[in-house]
Amino acid sequence: MLGYTCKRILTGIFSLFVLITVTFFLVRLIPGSPFQQGGVSDQVVEAIEQEYGLHDPVFIQYISYIVNLLHGDLGISYQDPATRVTDIIARAWPVTASVGITALAVSVFLGTGAGIVKAVSRRRCVKEMISAAGMLSAGIPSFAAAILLLLVFSVKLKWLPASGLLSPAHYILPVTALSLYPSAMIARLTANALDGELKKEYVLFARAKGMGKWRTVLTHALKNAYLPVLNYVGPSSAALLTGSFVIESIFTIPGLGREFVGSITNRDYTLILGLTIFMGAVVIFVNLLTDLLCAWLDPQTRRAYREEKM
Amino acid sequence: MSVLDVQNLSVKYLTENGASDVINNISLRVEQGEIVGLVGESGSGKSTAMKAVMGLLGEDAAVSSDRITVCGHRPVPGQNAAMIFQDSLSCLNPSVKIGRQLKETVRIRRKCSRKEALERSEELLDLVGIRNPSIRMRQYPFELSGGMRQRVVLATALACEPELIIADEPTTALDAVVQAQILLLLKRVVKETKTSLLLVSHDMGVIAAMCSRVYVMHQGRIVESGTAEDIFYAPMEEYTKRLLKDARGGRLERMQERKDVGRENIILKMEHVTKSFEANEGVRDFSMEIRKGEVFALVGESGSGKTTAARILAGIQREDEGTLYYRGQIIDRRQRMDSLGGRVQMVFQDPYTSLNPCLTVRRMLEEALEAAARRTAAKSGTGRKADRKEMRKTASEKIRKILELTGLSQEDADRCPWDFSGGQRQRIGIARALIVEPELLVCDEALSSLDASSREKILELILRIQKKVGFACLFISHDMNVVKRISDRVGVMYGGHIVEAGKTKSVCSDPWHPYTKQLMEAVPEADPIRSAKIKAVREKGGADSGGSGCPFAGRCGYAMECCTEKEPEDYIFEGRKVSCFLYSEEHSGRRSRGYKMSSQI
Repeated sequence: MLGYTCKRILTGIFSLFVLITVTFFLVRLIPGSPFQQGGVSDQVVEAIEQEYGLHDPVFIQYISYIVNLLHGDLGISYQDPATRVTDIIARAWPVTASVGITALAVSVFLGTGAGIVKAVSRRRCVKEMISAAGMLSAGIPSFAAAILLLLVFSVKLKWLPASGLLSPAHYILPVTALSLYPSAMIARLTANALDGELKKEYVLFARAKGMGKWRTVLTHALKNAYLPVLNYVGPSSAALLTGSFVIESIFTIPGLGREFVGSITNRDYTLILGLTIFMGAVVIFVNLLTDLLCAWLDPQTRRAYREEKM
Repeated sequence: MSVLDVQNLSVKYLTENGASDVINNISLRVEQGEIVGLVGESGSGKSTAMKAVMGLLGEDAAVSSDRITVCGHRPVPGQNAAMIFQDSLSCLNPSVKIGRQLKETVRIRRKCSRKEALERSEELLDLVGIRNPSIRMRQYPFELSGGMRQRVVLATALACEPELIIADEPTTALDAVVQAQILLLLKRVVKETKTSLLLVSHDMGVIAAMCSRVYVMHQGRIVESGTAEDIFYAPMEEYTKRLLKDARGGRLERMQERKDVGRENIILKMEHVTKSFEANEGVRDFSMEIRKGEVFALVGESGSGKTTAARILAGIQREDEGTLYYRGQIIDRRQRMDSLGGRVQMVFQDPYTSLNPCLTVRRMLEEALEAAARRTAAKSGTGRKADRKEMRKTASEKIRKILELTGLSQEDADRCPWDFSGGQRQRIGIARALIVEPELLVCDEALSSLDASSREKILELILRIQKKVGFACLFISHDMNVVKRISDRVGVMYGGHIVEAGKTKSVCSDPWHPYTKQLMEAVPEADPIRSAKIKAVREKGGADSGGSGCPFAGRCGYAMECCTEKEPEDYIFEGRKVSCFLYSEEHSGRRSRGYKMSSQI
């Protein structure tokens, strides 16, 4: 198991390295200079570029960036030379993460619950209602849902605040908008997988040995049904944790997504790179976590991992 | 008072086009401490009836009855009645440890503390003959063998402390040796715990070995009931007679002895082939030859390497060591598929998973033909694109013929697998294999998942076509009764090695190797007096000699000192091969030229 984890971390570091390299050179290909705005003269731009080492050959720049990176230094923002990239991430990520984790928790609970009810319920109307609700929330794109929610709950009804993240009430609208799609997907996957599991003989056997219906579902069937669900939850939680550009713009949340959009329009090389590396690391970490969780649920996968050599 | 009393039970399935009767007014009685059999073909409604008794049917089934009682009360699953099912692997939750599944059952029944539940679980595992219960409790179902799992399932049923256990085909998925063990265990447990057992099976042999009274079920009705002696020795109903005849193989005698096919007609030969896996199902120093037009059977318990041997022969798996010959020429390991191409075809065990559910029968057959055409084109090197129209025409002609040959109708060609029953699906599998006119057909447990009647029909079909077309056949089975009737020669496998091989008739009537003898004795016959003598083979266990020595030594009643020290060679006497020290020169003395060996056991 430890061997497997180490191997995964090593391949993760390798893919991160590839990501850094590709992004580094792509960013340099964007036409224009990071210092071109604000009506400064060409000479000044030249001088600043010289100062930042942008006139060196690209490969030399790449080497020095990697060396700095190995020291844990992501550089300073070109746009705002007083702040370091790490500081920007440290400031913006907790905001994004708090919204993302809440949305994740909401969609897992809501989705799993709805999925179980849909699979187990005998009433046709309950099943139909859940699948209709799922279809609706999966079908509306998040930006449309966000604007709709804003219009109804903060503009018309004035129940909830429209922007910022000052109080728990501020979280309600962005979290709802973010979790609509994942919870619909989770509900669907849970219901389908559970449906399949409930047809299996071990469920019948559990009932034959006197277990109640709900207990059979919750202690036996759900564990097996959750594997496919987990494989969806993993990658989508990576997306939630790195922030949604659209939702953060609509609700003016000072998170990673907004920083990212800003960094690209400003051609802020170091910030783009820093954010890419950070998001890549989050994605890789979350995927590893998903695989380990799957192994924890499924003894056969666990055994396969354990037998894997370094 | 009867332990189980069922009066006029009927079950209807509510479908969109009205209700369909599945069970029609059946009545059953089981007395204290009695083992009662319920026998019938698959699809006769046995399982449905039993689930109805337990109250485990879904909402789309309408159950009506005058009375269903267990000791005068309503049957409550897990309290006064318990049920065990056929497939022990799907009965146990794959991702939950054995111990937890057992403990939770104990706790539902006894409402006791965790510690008491643990103690009780270990006691139960001990009762069903599992050694080292505390180690087993920490294992997952897939880590145990089939027989071991069925023991765990039985222990779980016993944890309910029921008055009645319903066992639905408890040994059907097991091979003969393990089946005998489980049957004897069931008998012992019934005696010790004074529960009653209702045994549901399609196998007349199993019923004969176990039951004192028998109900015969056919198309949702009980057609005959009585004591085992009445049913087996003086059956009244036509249906019962037919079942017995099928079970005793009366309908089909082995075709008249074929002329011996000489050794010069060997098509395929495997020599000293070894393939090892982490689990114990590989083959070890495996040698076998198949002659033109003969039926060669491989028998042995599950995990003995039969399937691996067949797959290597068919080129699906690659051996680690050893040589394969096709008509005396060595086949290159890497070009197995090309050089054998189409000459060896396989029919697989499970007709439900070995056919692609989205393809029509016609498409499947066409695909086989196309693959064959591609191979010949590649071999002749011309790569010519044969006239498509022409090919289509010959293809449809071939499909028509093969459907006729395998007893399928022409309309069946445009149906998909889910329209067919298990037996018919196996016909499709055979058609798919035979359409490219192979020289060797490999049937890997092709009959094991079918019930007695369809097994008879398919067996008959294979024999008939084999006689007509004249291909050689490698027939793999764990069922001695089938092997006895279908094969010309037989190889008995144990631990990845053929321990005895020879003409089927002589091997079966006069086994030489101790394992062959055990195998023959484990098969219950459809005869209560004779099958009462079935013997259990000692469970494979710690006595297994690790590495050196005869692999069978740990289970062998004849084991000598030399058996644990080195492996026996293959001793050959007039075309009969046996791998056992009982036949060595040290044991039987020096042999002159014309020495006639006879069984040493």
